[in-house]
Amino acid sequence: MSVSDLPKKEVNVLKGHEGAVLAARFNKDGNYCLSCGKDRTIRLWNPHRGIHIKTYKSHGREVRDVHVTLDNSKLCSGGGDRQIFYWDVASGRVIRKFRGHDGGVNAVKFNEYASVVVSAGYDQSLRAWDCRSQSTEPIQIIDSFTDSVMSVCLTKTEIIGGSVDGTVRTFDIRMGRELSDDLGQPVNCISMSNDGNCILASCLDSTIRLLDRSSAELLQEYKGHTCKSYKLDCCLTNTDAHVIGGSEDGSIFFWDLVDASVVSSIRAHSSVVTSVGYHPKDNCMVSSSVDGTIKVWKT
Amino acid sequence: MDSDEEDFVFYGTPIAREDDVNTSRKKKSVAEASGQLRTLAPWKQEVRDEEGRRRFHGAFSGGFSAGYYNTVGSKEGWTPQTFVSSRKNRAEVKQQDILNFLDEDERAELEGQSLGTSSQFDTFGFTAADHARKHAEKEHQKRPSAIPGPVPDELVLPATDSIGVKLLLKMGWRRGRSIKDSHTDVAYDARREARKAFLAFSTNDAKTQLADSEPIHDKSENFTEQPASDDVQSSQNTPVYVLNPKQDLHGLGFDPFKHAPEFREKKRSRVSDNRGPGNKSALLMNNSLFGFKSGKAAPGFGIGALEDFDAEDEDVYASGYDFEETYAEDIDEPTKLIMDSKQKSVQKEAGALSGFRLASNSDYQLERFDPPVVPKDFVPHHKFLGPPETSYKLGDPGPPEVPPPQDNNLKLLIDGVATLVARCGKLFEDLSREKNQSNPLFSFLVGGNGHEYYTRKLWEEQQKRGDQTKLQLDGKLSPRTQKMTAESRGKILGERPLERSSKDLSTSIPSTDAIHLQYNLSDTFTDPSSYSEMPVVAKPFIHDTAKQERFEQFLKDKYQGGLRSTDSGRASHMSEAARALERLDFEAAAEAIKKGKWSKEISTSLTGGMEFTSGGFVQAKDTQAQDAIPKEVHVKRTEYQWRPSPILCKRFDLIDPYMGKPAPAPRSKSKIETLIFTSDSVKATKEEETIIVKRDSYQMPQPEAQGISKDAADNESGGEVEVENVERPVDLYKAIFSDDSDDEEDTSIPNEVGNPEKKAEAANTTLNRLIAGDFLESLGKELGLEVPPELSSSTNKAMNSAPPKETASANSRIYSTYSVEDSSTLNVPHGREIVQDRSSEKREPVNGNLIGNSARSNSTYAETASLGNQVDKNISEKGPLQDRKFKTPSRRHRSSSSSSEDERSRKRSRRRRHRHSDSDSDSSSDHQDRYHSRSKGKKKGSSREKSSSSRSHSKHHKRRSRDSPSRYDYSPEKERTETKRDKHKRRD
Repeated sequence: MSVSDLPKKEVNVLKGHEGAVLAARFNKDGNYCLSCGKDRTIRLWNPHRGIHIKTYKSHGREVRDVHVTLDNSKLCSGGGDRQIFYWDVASGRVIRKFRGHDGGVNAVKFNEYASVVVSAGYDQSLRAWDCRSQSTEPIQIIDSFTDSVMSVCLTKTEIIGGSVDGTVRTFDIRMGRELSDDLGQPVNCISMSNDGNCILASCLDSTIRLLDRSSAELLQEYKGHTCKSYKLDCCLTNTDAHVIGGSEDGSIFFWDLVDASVVSSIRAHSSVVTSVGYHPKDNCMVSSSVDGTIKVWKT
Repeated sequence: MDSDEEDFVFYGTPIAREDDVNTSRKKKSVAEASGQLRTLAPWKQEVRDEEGRRRFHGAFSGGFSAGYYNTVGSKEGWTPQTFVSSRKNRAEVKQQDILNFLDEDERAELEGQSLGTSSQFDTFGFTAADHARKHAEKEHQKRPSAIPGPVPDELVLPATDSIGVKLLLKMGWRRGRSIKDSHTDVAYDARREARKAFLAFSTNDAKTQLADSEPIHDKSENFTEQPASDDVQSSQNTPVYVLNPKQDLHGLGFDPFKHAPEFREKKRSRVSDNRGPGNKSALLMNNSLFGFKSGKAAPGFGIGALEDFDAEDEDVYASGYDFEETYAEDIDEPTKLIMDSKQKSVQKEAGALSGFRLASNSDYQLERFDPPVVPKDFVPHHKFLGPPETSYKLGDPGPPEVPPPQDNNLKLLIDGVATLVARCGKLFEDLSREKNQSNPLFSFLVGGNGHEYYTRKLWEEQQKRGDQTKLQLDGKLSPRTQKMTAESRGKILGERPLERSSKDLSTSIPSTDAIHLQYNLSDTFTDPSSYSEMPVVAKPFIHDTAKQERFEQFLKDKYQGGLRSTDSGRASHMSEAARALERLDFEAAAEAIKKGKWSKEISTSLTGGMEFTSGGFVQAKDTQAQDAIPKEVHVKRTEYQWRPSPILCKRFDLIDPYMGKPAPAPRSKSKIETLIFTSDSVKATKEEETIIVKRDSYQMPQPEAQGISKDAADNESGGEVEVENVERPVDLYKAIFSDDSDDEEDTSIPNEVGNPEKKAEAANTTLNRLIAGDFLESLGKELGLEVPPELSSSTNKAMNSAPPKETASANSRIYSTYSVEDSSTLNVPHGREIVQDRSSEKREPVNGNLIGNSARSNSTYAETASLGNQVDKNISEKGPLQDRKFKTPSRRHRSSSSSSEDERSRKRSRRRRHRHSDSDSDSSSDHQDRYHSRSKGKKKGSSREKSSSSRSHSKHHKRRSRDSPSRYDYSPEKERTETKRDKHKRRD
């Protein structure tokens, strides 16, 4: 993918959130996107047409992360109210609330079968919640982290969590082992490469690091942006050719994956870019910001 | 009814008196019944109810009559309720209201009603006024008056008194009097009349003319009948106070006549004399005549001949005194208002109400605060004196990025100017623009070539500066507002710093930090060393002493070290621009001096270009420093055992790697894992390498009989590894009995010195471990097995690596005889277990090996404790397991890849060996004590154990207070317990 294909043109601005937007995510096929923010709502958008579709309200505090199942039927979300909400997308009703975290929930993810929600919390733990049973107790508590867990990724067999204690820990369910990769810097956000071989970890020293998962080798570091005090998302393009990350000054940076050069940077928002999400197939990107807007970018 | 018809009522129906109807009907029925009874045959008689209606009918004529003609209907008939589907219109919860329960007429009544005061509590008379107005209107309609139209509101007055008036009346106030008037005696009235004749003030005051005698009459009259006159009267009895202008020179509120009211009159007369010519002189005369007497006590006299009246005499008489009273008030009231002082009011109101006494002190104090004094030269405009970067905002997107101009020199120049402008403020830009107006090189300042690039560059610089200044401010002024990093937060919270950052990555992170720090500090602080290098003799501004002085001060500030001062006020006479310029000069000069390239010409004229290049140079250096931050960060991978819950595996559609293995007991899980494991995980980082080994071994599924015929090297390494595991409850004893460490051996001292701060922690963990051990014991009991007492695994280790004590050989020799026979008994449970339950030959060599090991380890004990013969079966049992497990590929890989780490760990373990052997022997003996009673019941080797334990007792007392190493690694312990449990399970 050439640099010119990077989504740098603002197509739509999704307005509706009152207050900071903390996360914006595409769904699996990229037709819709979800956002959540400090106004305690989750919003469903059609980013391509710029339409607000639905609002999900139930959270008692800010919503920090949201994830949708592959079949678009269920949502999970977590936030400052220490609960994980399991939503029905169509009706907008909460099917279940999972309580148990002793602190705010930083990130939530469904597993592949949408049977388990894994949440990362400020209480230094990862918790897995069963969506199939009626029980609202966690089926697994992973508390080997020594600081707030900021982000979580799931593969078919693994749970990966990034924490402020500077580690990215991979919990291999199949092998029954835990791999702890110590980066030495607080990890803000982790995201998997599309081939599943690498992990992109955004650290609080204004550096995004690319890790090889199998060997724990530090492949590359991406610098130039500012990330010192906010939880800023980073992601890879769907071709894994570029790394995208937001910055605290409101710009979005594009790095070349291999040589770590800043390919481009755009002034995207007037305030901190909290989240960036890349379309699974097209050259399209959504970004959310503390200024309360979500922007859709295309080539 | 006839009379009704005669009444011409056209609307509505006349209401017939119910009584009349009822009684008439009743009478009729009674009469009829009696008549019937008398006249008719019984079968012809009709039964009627008390109202004369026929209630019973014959079977053919309707039977019993009930309801509305024997129906459930009504006069209007009965209609079934129409069906309304409730599917769409669900029943709603209706908010019930009082209106739901009211009839229509009641509702109408309610709606018309508004909240009003009843006439009883009509304080201000509004309701009464309303009534009166209505009444007046009605009357007005009745008899048309000469004036058409409605009565003006002002004319209509309430018929009743307000409550205030009533109260006042009750308290003795009468209409027409001022409220202050307390002279209610009748005698006073006579005197007043007399005085009226005398004190006939001819004034132009309007008030006097209003006064008449009417109030007196009014009092006896009904006010309702004369609303108009009442109006006049009521306006009269509220005196209009005229504020006296303050004309004297006394202080505010000071009343010179307070205690001598007589003089007030005199003063007044004098004033009025000065003021008023003509007929006022008569007043003066009068007043001078009687001025010394109190006005109120003055006897009545006739009207003075010279007095001239505007109004008729009657009026004057009627109002004379009133006027005087109000006149007096004219003086008093304003002063009272102004003063608000309590003495005044006390004096005024003394005796105002009989039966009340005025409080000697009131808590009503009016405090006054003077407004702040605004300086004379204050201009209500805020000027931003600071450099423009203060107004820099994050959200400001700034000018668009522009490619630098082709000319490299120009680019350099622009960069330099931008840096300087960012640093020194907008003024510098203006200055240089002025200065270099003719210079084509500087055309970018005025919009020429490269202007866009310049603006962009300037913005960037400002941004950078803004960040830096922010940082400096944070560092300098308020550490609290400093941006919290994870580590600083941890520091504040008293957390232990992540060890990795201080130790493992000591090569990379701290160095980068240091550089960062230096870089950041370089703006705020400067090292004093460079000052010493500075040639003090260099006086570039020698021709200008003042400037030279400032320059030296500047140098001092710059190179002395410490906080860099902000622009000091010593050159306050200089303008901002001049100061900026001078500062630039100084900077350049200092730079030049430092570089040793000082030449005279710089002092005379510092060209802009020079400054710019130097600025650019500085900038380049900065960026260099930034780039110099080393990149490499080691990612440290460690591996642990992790047990996913079965349900999680199920949900992930995976096979549970621990399937078939006993689930960790809930209690141990809750107590051990959550408390100890997590708390230890931090500490575990130091021992990662060795832990890895173990974890690697555990991640492997454990085959029943794996190749046991492995090399001894693995055995040894296994032994080494186990050194880490051997934290024993000694720590608990230490924590509890640490104060009775009088008879301590000197060998323990270094340990104690090394780890004094971890005692409490140690106690905690060991306590938890003890709990775990107890649990295991009980588990073993349940299973009907003997749980082998825990033993120190360092035995192997101690044996393997050179025993340090010189007594070793002797002791071991001594022990050798002992151990030969003892080993069989010592390891009896173990041996029995292996022989009985696991009779496979493959296990045999292990056993032998184990026994050998333990025997050797016992010898080690002998050398240190001489009584560590109670080898922990647990660990010794684990030894072979461990050995087996060490043949994992990952282990080999690990050792091959990170041999240095292994090397290190080996060294570390060696270092710790002595302590371990000591503490282990202690712990094992301790455990021996604990297990003693239980093991007594065992047949084999009980006597031996007894004897040994008794020996260990004696030793134990001596040694239990010994310090133990403070290194704890719980996870291996946990694993051990797991293996133990596994073992039990297998035995089952």
